[in-house]
Formats: sequence, structure tokens, C-alpha cells
Amino acid sequence: MSFTQPKEEKEIEEALVKDFQAGNPDAYDKIAELYQKKIYALSFNLVRNQMDAQDVTQEVLLTLFKKIHTFQGKSAFSSWVYRITLNASYMKLRSKKKEPNISIDELLPSFNSAGYQQEKIQDWSENSESLLFTNETREVINKAVGLLPEKEKVVFLLRDVEGLSTEKVSEVLDLTIPAVKSRLHRARLFLRKKLSGYFEEYSSQKGEA
Amino acid sequence: MICCKECIDLLYDYIEGSLDQNTSKSLEEHFEECPPCIAFLNTYKSTTTLCRDTLNQIEIPDEIRRTLQSFLQENRDQQEKK
Repeated sequence: MSFTQPKEEKEIEEALVKDFQAGNPDAYDKIAELYQKKIYALSFNLVRNQMDAQDVTQEVLLTLFKKIHTFQGKSAFSSWVYRITLNASYMKLRSKKKEPNISIDELLPSFNSAGYQQEKIQDWSENSESLLFTNETREVINKAVGLLPEKEKVVFLLRDVEGLSTEKVSEVLDLTIPAVKSRLHRARLFLRKKLSGYFEEYSSQKGEA
Repeated sequence: MICCKECIDLLYDYIEGSLDQNTSKSLEEHFEECPPCIAFLNTYKSTTTLCRDTLNQIEIPDEIRRTLQSFLQENRDQQEKK
């Protein structure tokens, strides 16, 4: 599941970055081609709107062009691109009306004093495949992810959606590995709970029918 | 014997395969006796897969791709004029 860049790809990318830093415009075009989908997808998952994601993508591409001379190669080039994308997406979000954040703690599992789970847990995992591509499920998932607090959301998007390794996420976000793990775990627990509400209702409706 | 709370705290590392043998073994013993935690494990895993498969499908719409292309071209033209 984790994404590690093949060595060859990494070398090609490093060569492109060097060429671009040396002023070769074709190298920039190739870099833009390589990265624009990643930039667009990550920003879309954060700003949730095509026009805004387009604005962010343009801005990031322009920043890469203007700031390439400041890239020193201390971290991977891709980490640098992800960081610029996150910053530009956050700037975009800040200019918009903010939706009220809900507390993640309310949705974490609860236990009794003996440490047993308090709520009834239904296993909907076997039905989930058939539901995956319905529009309603997609809507529910998008909404649930939209409700995640920013700190947890960004870790979840980079690690679980983009498939970056834990180490890479810690580099992009400048977080310790345990912090990445704990935010990701909280994000997954939150989303599990949100999806459970939907799937449990769905299977009880199906049972009645 | 570990309880449900500990079990859920360990899920992340269990799925990553990064627990030591003993902890992993006690976790599996807990699963054998606790169907709710198995359900929790299965749905925790499914959540990740479902969300990934849904959010991964994002492609740049053709119109936006064209806009980006002309944006890059304009940027390049400007640089060449300088």
C-alpha cells in the first residue's frame, strides 16, 4: 500500500530538476506534466471544488517555476511539491467561509470501566464492496472526509489516499513518525464511525425490505 | 489478557505488521474471544479501502487540463520575451 518511488524514477526526476534549475524550459514542462495530476487531486480533496482546485494547481505550477532556485534538495523534490500544494490549498480555504469543525473525540470508540467496547459493533465490511460505486456511498465518504479536522485530514489524504509512506508523510508535514501514526489512526477511527452509521442503516433497511 | 480498548489502540500497528510477536499473539487471542473486535478490525480495514478507492478516482477534467496547458504556454511565452 505504501508508495515508494522506484529508484529509476527518482533519478529521472532529479535530473529533470537539475535541468530546470539550469534554465531548460522543456524540463519544466515535463515536471509540470509529471506533477499536475497529483497536485490537482490533493488540492481537490482539500478544497472540494473544481474551480478552486484549478486555481491552486495553477498557483503551485507557477510557484514551482518561480521558486525552483530555492529548492536545495534537502528533502525529496516531491515532498517540496506536496508542501507547496498544501500551503496553497490552505490559503484558498482560508479565503472561504469556514465550516464549523466537529470534535473528533466524540466519534472515537468508547469503553466501559473494564475496557470493553460499549456500543454494538456491526460488521458491514462484507457488504461494502457492492456499495462502493454507488453515488450515495461516494457522497457519504466525501462528506465524512470533509468533516475530518485539518490535522487528521491531511495525514489521511497523504498516507491513505496518495499512498505515501509514513516516513514521507513525516517529511512533508515535518511531524514525528508517532505523530503521523496517531493522527492517521484517529482519522481512520473517525471515518469508520461515520461510515458505520451509514452502512448499518443501509443493511437494516435491506433486512426490512 | 488485553481488553477492547488496548486492542483498538493496537490495530494500526497490527495491520502494519509492526507489533512484536507476543503482543500480536495476545491480540489474536483477544480476537478469538471477542467478535465485536473482529467486526471492528474488519470495518476499520474496509474504511481505509473504501475511502482510498473513492478519493483516488480524481482525474483532471479535460477543460481544466486545457486551461492548465494554455496557462503553462503563456507562462513560457512570457519568459521567452524577457
